Amino acid sequence: MTAMPGARAPAPGDLRLIVRDEPLSLAEHARWYGPLPAPGRPADLIAEIERSGLTGRGGAAFPAGRKIRAVAQAAGARSASGAIVVANGSESEPASRKDSVLLSHAPHLVLDGVELCAGAVGASTGYVCVSPQSPGAAQAVTQAVAERDRARPGGLPVQVLATPDGYLSGQETALISALNGGPPLPTFVPPRPSDRGVRRRPTLVLNVETLANVALIARFGGGWFRSAGTPGAPGSALVTVTGAVGRPGVREIPLGTPLGEVLRRSGLSPGSAAVLSGGYFGTWLPLPAALRVPVSEEGMRAAGAALGCGVLAVLPGGGCGLAETARITGFLADESAGQCGPCRNGMPALADALHRIAFGRPGQEVIGWAQQLTGLVAGRGACHLPDGAAGLVRSALTVFAADLRSHAQHGPCPGAARPAILPVPARRPE
Amino acid sequence: MTQRQGNGPRHSLELRVNPIACDAHGLCMELLPELIIADPWGYPVIAPGPVPARLESLARRAVADCPTLALLLTKRP
Amino acid sequence: MIASGHISAIVVTSSTPLWYATRATGLVALVLLTGSMAMGLLSSVRFQRPDWPRFVTLGLHRNLSLLALAFTVVHVLTTVLDSFVAIPLQDAFIPFISSYRPIWLGLGAIAFDLMLALIITSLLRGRMGLRSWRLVHWTAYGCWPVAVLHGLGTGTDTPVRWVLALTALCVLAITGLTLWRLALAWPARPVASTAGLVVVVLVLIASGAWLRAGPLAPGWSARSGTHSSSQARAEPPPHRERR
Repeated sequence: MTAMPGARAPAPGDLRLIVRDEPLSLAEHARWYGPLPAPGRPADLIAEIERSGLTGRGGAAFPAGRKIRAVAQAAGARSASGAIVVANGSESEPASRKDSVLLSHAPHLVLDGVELCAGAVGASTGYVCVSPQSPGAAQAVTQAVAERDRARPGGLPVQVLATPDGYLSGQETALISALNGGPPLPTFVPPRPSDRGVRRRPTLVLNVETLANVALIARFGGGWFRSAGTPGAPGSALVTVTGAVGRPGVREIPLGTPLGEVLRRSGLSPGSAAVLSGGYFGTWLPLPAALRVPVSEEGMRAAGAALGCGVLAVLPGGGCGLAETARITGFLADESAGQCGPCRNGMPALADALHRIAFGRPGQEVIGWAQQLTGLVAGRGACHLPDGAAGLVRSALTVFAADLRSHAQHGPCPGAARPAILPVPARRPE
Repeated sequence: MTQRQGNGPRHSLELRVNPIACDAHGLCMELLPELIIADPWGYPVIAPGPVPARLESLARRAVADCPTLALLLTKRP
Repeated sequence: MIASGHISAIVVTSSTPLWYATRATGLVALVLLTGSMAMGLLSSVRFQRPDWPRFVTLGLHRNLSLLALAFTVVHVLTTVLDSFVAIPLQDAFIPFISSYRPIWLGLGAIAFDLMLALIITSLLRGRMGLRSWRLVHWTAYGCWPVAVLHGLGTGTDTPVRWVLALTALCVLAITGLTLWRLALAWPARPVASTAGLVVVVLVLIASGAWLRAGPLAPGWSARSGTHSSSQARAEPPPHRERR
């Protein structure tokens, strides 16, 4: 695919997704990126997305082209009703801001992506699910949908909804359950959403950032997409830098940028102890050793971590990683759907063990029990919440091994008494 | 089930549990202790890998006997 | 329909073995159904001992159900084949259309229909989805008492002491297990559990009262709709000379 005449394909070093502080109107968006390409053959778009190597930006990093192809095939096999496209901007990860920022600044990129994917899979309806904590994003998307309706009536009907509160509400099957009028809790797979999702129709659920990238690939091509990033992790990504940094916020970076460069641009203080990558679902990396780690899924995995939804939370020098982990584990245990025995039983036990480790004088048994619990909960639920918690705790016990020994001998360190660096939302009333 | 000799690889089967449907009744681990053991709360921990051919009929029985139809036998791709 | 008034000894002689078979298989079916129901209740309270794993309860439940069905089928066939009273095959499936003790035979038809539904759905459980299966299986709580009442109302042996004792034993067992089941449900669902308890008590009281005023009181066979031609046989034979 070639660039549309009059539009400028962003150069490798340019910002692609969020290009200025104020949101782009429909007209400005068309001027900046060029008009939305006319729908060609669905197979061509899917092939281009596969060629680009775009992976999901919601945390799972699943190849986007493969997902779209699966829904297209399922929808093609069932000629009766159309498929459904869901733009997932739920951002249920408390420390993440990127989806809301993207929706507030570039709603038309996301909506272009929804329209293009709808054409590729034969969808007759689209949904945009926004974070309930982000009225600004909801407003921006609603206005953008209205703008598009005025400019081109009779286009794809798109409904803008707020995802229900809760850590799991943005999970793919939980979101579909909510859209079906059920509880916002994960369901067992099979059936896969690509086969049977909203209203029992093949459903394509993609993160809003992934859809924005689809809109760019449709204009400028898969080859262009790969001009930034690395061969194993092509393109750019939005990351949320938070914690003990001078300039926290959302940044767009080429994938593969060294972690140190990203953090320094956000005002990293010297002497910072560790960084939590991937959100509350993620894993700890020690500083300064991890400054060299490339910020990408493959780079993080090689370092024993994961990029996930792109949250990079910095723990300051005087902080206690065990205390932060204990609070987060408690939060995750509270947010458990409670549907699966191992998670319903194991997560509170894990949170309790972490609490004793962080705020007490843990003996070897409780440390061993915590390790054992991570093995007992991981992979045994219908969703990945226990897996994330297990990874978080394991990485904490490794990265903060020195603190662990100190707690065991002398009780909690002064850092454990400090206010939380990584805020945990207050427990929702039942 | 009869063993087919020399007809190429059979589909191997894998045991999976639907953790939402599972209510820790415990019949599966009684019938198939070689492959399923209980965690500290009575929920099944399934040994990874394919079901050995000699245990296949027991596995099918465990699947049929599960009170909540939570145990599944799926073909490995 | 046999011409009224003809109670020839020859007719009685030729149908009496079938009549005994009907009564015997009916009783055995009731005991087997009670056993199956008991295993079902044991399963629902998650009964388990080191030497009594849960799959034993389940296996017994299944086998006793199938045996109960087998004996019920024989019970139905002997009843239909018994030419002394005309009970065509459809009376065993369609309740209350019979000319012989319509209500009480009809209860038997209901119980038989429910047994068939319970067993067929259980054989197809994997294919029909758990929710539908469960819905049908709840009718087991109705099937068993209906079968008991059918036996008491239709059965000519009801006043016989050991038959009464056997029935009472079955009722005791199932009542006890049902109360255990309700007790287990009480913490999570107190309202439903209490309602269940009320139902059990009411059914027991009502059935007991009906038993005393009905089958155990004289003249039951006439009141229950036994025709005069078969009434002579409807009373249990006091002596065994009738061959």
